[in-house]
Order: sequence, then structure tokens, then C-alpha cells
Amino acid sequence: MRPRILLAVAMLVATSVPMAGQLGRPGGLAGVDSTEGAAATKAGPIPRRPDGHPDLTGTWNGSPGGVTHTVILEDHPPGFGVLGGKSLIIDPKDGVIPYLPWALEERDRRRDDANGYEDQVGHCEFYDIGRVHQFTQEYMFSGNTFIINATQHITRIVPMDGRPHLPSGIRLWLGDPVGHWEGDTLVVDSTNFNDRTRMSLGGDFHGADAHIVERFQMLDANTIKWTMTIDNPKVFSRPWTMTSPAPMKRIKPVPDFDIEDTCHEGNVDLVHLKNTYFQAHGKDAKPKYGTDTDIRR
Amino acid sequence: MPRRVLTWLIAAAAVAATAQAQAPARRPPDLQGVWRAWNLAKYDLEDHGSKPGVPAGRGFVVDPADGRIPYKPEALAKRAKNYEGTKTLDPVKSTDPFVKCYLPGIPRMTYLGWPFQIIQTPDEVTFAYEWAHKKRVVPINSKVPVPTDDGGAWMGYARGHYDGNSLVVNVTNFNPYTWFDMAGNYHSDALQVVERYTPVNMDTLQYEATMTDPKVFTRPWTIRMTLQRQKDIGLLDYECTAMLDDLGIDHTWPRDFDEEK
Repeated sequence: MRPRILLAVAMLVATSVPMAGQLGRPGGLAGVDSTEGAAATKAGPIPRRPDGHPDLTGTWNGSPGGVTHTVILEDHPPGFGVLGGKSLIIDPKDGVIPYLPWALEERDRRRDDANGYEDQVGHCEFYDIGRVHQFTQEYMFSGNTFIINATQHITRIVPMDGRPHLPSGIRLWLGDPVGHWEGDTLVVDSTNFNDRTRMSLGGDFHGADAHIVERFQMLDANTIKWTMTIDNPKVFSRPWTMTSPAPMKRIKPVPDFDIEDTCHEGNVDLVHLKNTYFQAHGKDAKPKYGTDTDIRR
Repeated sequence: MPRRVLTWLIAAAAVAATAQAQAPARRPPDLQGVWRAWNLAKYDLEDHGSKPGVPAGRGFVVDPADGRIPYKPEALAKRAKNYEGTKTLDPVKSTDPFVKCYLPGIPRMTYLGWPFQIIQTPDEVTFAYEWAHKKRVVPINSKVPVPTDDGGAWMGYARGHYDGNSLVVNVTNFNPYTWFDMAGNYHSDALQVVERYTPVNMDTLQYEATMTDPKVFTRPWTIRMTLQRQKDIGLLDYECTAMLDDLGIDHTWPRDFDEEK
């Protein structure tokens, strides 16, 4: 096997199948900054663009020590291959995602190991917005457009020219993002999702008609606080808000950011999840890749 | 961002120095926007008659002048075998790596038919492709050497610079698994590609790519085509492997490219 393929597999494993040795330190909102190359010196004031708004340009560690939360978003004790972590949910205060009863049942069905094959990330398909924020990301502006580059073939292009959302018939994996400023906070408003992404290996999900509002607030030159509020009345009893395990920290630009994201090309491990799935459900079972809730109802 | 300002200054000085003879010195061309190749290149880079599902049409090879890819005689059999292997409706059995949702390589990604967006910042040019959400970050005037010992990359390793009104991207260290089109045109791991993106007017880019691969071709060859600006909508998405899911095709076939090539 070629080293490049090994790398792809290693990345897949590291990001989707938690192994004790590969996990960072436990997350938690108290968050410890373990970021390499982050502000060893004192962070300066917020840099600004010519138009006076904060300049988020740079490379950012999505969540130091946060890998544990790609598994479970809520409070969870340590378990086999999973480090314990505090809930990333800051509203409601109890840190529990306010699923409707049917949706909680569906979340738990997905959390069952026997159904791990259905998780799109194992298929090298898209992460949801929340999971993207656990990675190293590169932010830049191009004119009136805010751009997020992340590993795993993610580029989010956020127009900030006041345009409306796409017509509702067009559905996208990460939704249709439009941005605006609220004071010094960059707000990204996304709709037009499909029903395919999952928010964690633990089966958390939102529906296709979710309305997601992210807030990027620079606390100082080297720190961004990120929150995400999800409103989706067909799935949740009320809107709820999550954040990253720790504020995002500026890191040195990654010299190898230009290396391509291969995953599917060397995805020889998916067969194990597949075997588990069909052993549990019988050979005629049909994996459920979507929520089957919003678009078709 | 003092470093970026400095980079710009250096770049500007370099451009000014090289363009001194042809004053006035100019800034790098603005290539930003969503672009799309509305042409038949994805089917066949050479002149071709109609084939199943393929309209007949002109090719895109401008050098050599006969419009043919200058294969070594012994390399042609493999192209024929490649094409024969595409005559199946089962993506898993097809010899075309693109049908299996593998990264299509450069230049094929450019004229797949899906749009892509070019984003320019002083230090890099990002190509965000709608097909499978892929992206390519091209460092500009980078001093970081390209690795050569990793077996090669599907999209190669890109290093960019501006040359007058063009963005020039040198792409090296490819793996040997990608093709140029659906007709089975192929290359080896010795491939080197020089891409050139040049604005023709507000809504048109000229795209040129020169391929050098002494293991397969007798000489370098060049394709040329125009790319049109897509104005009505931004970049959407096409998650290729999810389409396989939807067709009931599992992704778990053995990855056979290692043994084959």
C-alpha cells in the first residue's frame, strides 16, 4: 500500500474511528489551550480589515483536544476508546440536546454500533458544520466573501453581500451560507440543507430544514469564540446552541495545507463497518443514509 | 498582516522587474469567480466521432498541429484497453477511475463539466471544485519543495506564479492512476503539467495545459479551451460517493489500482 493511501486511511481512522492513542486530551468548556504554535506571547488587539471589521484571516485550531466530541456532543464519561468530555451544548443550560421523542429514538438508533456503517463520514462524505469546527481551518476574505478551508475536502464560501438564500429546491451538504456583521461578530446564516449529514459519530443529527446561525467573535488577535445555534422544529423542541470544546486558537500556517484530501481513494476499511451492519441486520437490510424526515414530508 | 503585505510587495516587485520592458507593470490578473468548461473535452481530448452517449466533436489539442496526442507507439495499446474497459454500466467494473469517484487529476478536473470557483489571496490561489467538494490550494511563489518520495498525488503537487496576465501552475509528482478523459487517454507517474489561466475578457478565461511525460509521449503536448463565467448561481455541490450510495453501490470494492499499474 502506498504511503499516500496509508495517510488517507490514517486520517479517516483518526477522524472517524476514535482510538485511545489518537485522541487528544479531554475537551470541556473550561478548555485548556494545548495549541502548538499559539500565542506563547501575549495576544495583541483584534486585527482589522480596511473596512474596519475584524480580520479573521489566518489558520485556526478548531478545538484543542476536541476530537472526543466528534463522538458525543453531550456530557459523557470515558468509555472504550472514548475520552470523557463535558457537553458542548451551552443552551439549554442542562447541556442536553432538546430532541423531540421520535428524534431521540432515531439518534439512539444511529448511536448503536451496529449502525455505524450509515455514518456518512466513514463513506468519505461530508462532515456537518459542527464537525468541521473540530479541524484546523484556514480563514480568508476575498472581497466581500468569507472563505473557510478545512481538511477533508471542505471549502465553505460565504457571500457577505446581503444576497438572499437559494431557492428551497436546492439542497446542499453544508447548506447555503450567507454572512453579515453584527458589530464585531461575523454571523453566518445557513439554510437549504440536505438530510444526509450527522453531527457526531454518536448519531446526533439535524434535519434538512434546519436553520443554523454561527457566530465568529474574535476575543483577541489569536482567539475566536465560535457558537452555532440550530433551530429545527421538526427535530428539536426548541433552538439550541453549541460551541467548540475550547475557543479557537491561531496557529502557524500549515505548510502542507495544499496537500490533497484523499479518503475514498484508499477507503479499504469501510468494509468492516459494512460487515458489522449486515451481520446485525441481515443481508437484505437497506442502510438509512438520510433522516427521511424533512424533504419528503 | 505584515507578512502578506511583504509577500505582495515582493511579488509586485518581481512582476515589475520582469515586465519592465513592457511597461506599464501590472497587478496579477483577477481570475476570481465561478467558471465552467461548456465543451466536449471531458469525453475525448482528440477529434472524435460519436460513441455511445458521446456527441462527435473537435478535439482540444493545439500542439502538435495534427490535434493528436503524441503517444509512443507502444503506449497506444493501453489507451485502447482503457477505453474498452469503460464499456460497462457497472461503475465498480469500469476502468475509468473517475467513474469510481476517484480524484480525476489535472487537467481533467478543469473540464469535467462541473463548475469551479477561483479564490485569490496574495499567498495562494484556491480552486474550489463543485465535483465532490474537492479543492486545490496552489501556493504562489512558494519556496517549499514538492515532496517526491510519497508515491505521487492524484491531483499532483501544484506551485503557482504569475506571468504577465496569466496564472501559471506547475503540477508535478502525480500518481499514475488518473486519466485525461473518458476515451482512456492516460499518463504515467512521470507526468508534469503546466497550466496557464489567462483572462480573455470579463466573462472568459483561456485555459491551456501542457503535458510532458517521456514514458508515454514522444514530446510535450498542449490543450487549449475557454472557460465561461457562471453568473446565475454560485458553487453548489456534488458528493460523488453519495451518488454511489444512492445507486446501492457500496464503496467497499478492493482498491485495485496498486496492482494494476
